[in-house]
Amino acid sequence: MEERLYDLIFIARPATPEDEIKKVVTSIEHACTEKGGKIEKAEHWGTRKLAYKVAKHREGMYYYHQIRTTHGELITELERRLRVQDSVIKYMTIRLDEDLKRQKKLTEKREKRAARRPRRPAATPAAPAAPAPEQQAAVS
Amino acid sequence: MAEEQKQGQEAPAAAPRAEGGAPSGPPSGGHGGGHSGPRREGGREGGPRREGGPGGGPGGPRRGKRQYFRKKKVCKFCVEKMDLIDYKRADILSQFVQERGKILPRRMTGVCARHQRWLGVAIKRARNIALLPFAGSAAGSTAPKAVEAHKS
Repeated sequence: MEERLYDLIFIARPATPEDEIKKVVTSIEHACTEKGGKIEKAEHWGTRKLAYKVAKHREGMYYYHQIRTTHGELITELERRLRVQDSVIKYMTIRLDEDLKRQKKLTEKREKRAARRPRRPAATPAAPAAPAPEQQAAVS
Repeated sequence: MAEEQKQGQEAPAAAPRAEGGAPSGPPSGGHGGGHSGPRREGGREGGPRREGGPGGGPGGPRRGKRQYFRKKKVCKFCVEKMDLIDYKRADILSQFVQERGKILPRRMTGVCARHQRWLGVAIKRARNIALLPFAGSAAGSTAPKAVEAHKS
């Protein structure tokens, strides 16, 4: 199976003690190392306002991980672990690699097109050439 | 369906014939003074209809409205050369969402078709993780607040 990239976001209750969150994060890391995944990014977005109420909370602490793995079971395992945690009120995993692949393709296409074009800008050297004779005239 | 359509087409065609037949009937039936009356009326009625037909009154303003210079909207994502719309950037996404959380149509924002497609997906993802509201955030946020105030 080819490598895939996933986004994993989970929202913890706003007043969760740090120990519990550390537990959740370490359990994610453990699962990754066990099942052959790699955490590429790990961010803490801080406490943010939720767009709607989740488990009667208006705010939540966002944690973001980017995981690269060849084993799809890892994601199911991670989701299972997050579901079990009481401090986690919402989580989401999203497959990213297909979107990134498309993005790469499009940017390459754009760069190719941009590389082909720059034949036209021949008008720019003409502009600096024009004021030069005036200066010469002023000198003489 | 086809038969119904045919009948529908025939019906209007038949109606004018009947109307055409009706005016022709009275002149043939009536003599003398009766002739001039209906004919003049017909002529007067025909006049205004012709004036209205070309649409000099209503048609003019419409054309005028079309002439208004409309600023050409350009796709924001194309200008910035974004090949990926990140669902995590709620600040960008919220520009393309109504206050109530509805996705704004392309004709309002000027986003190109391709980017609108990606934008829709990104907004829906952002909604899933509570970065953007699903719907009715304006009403939903005010009502519970009032309840909480009463409790306290």
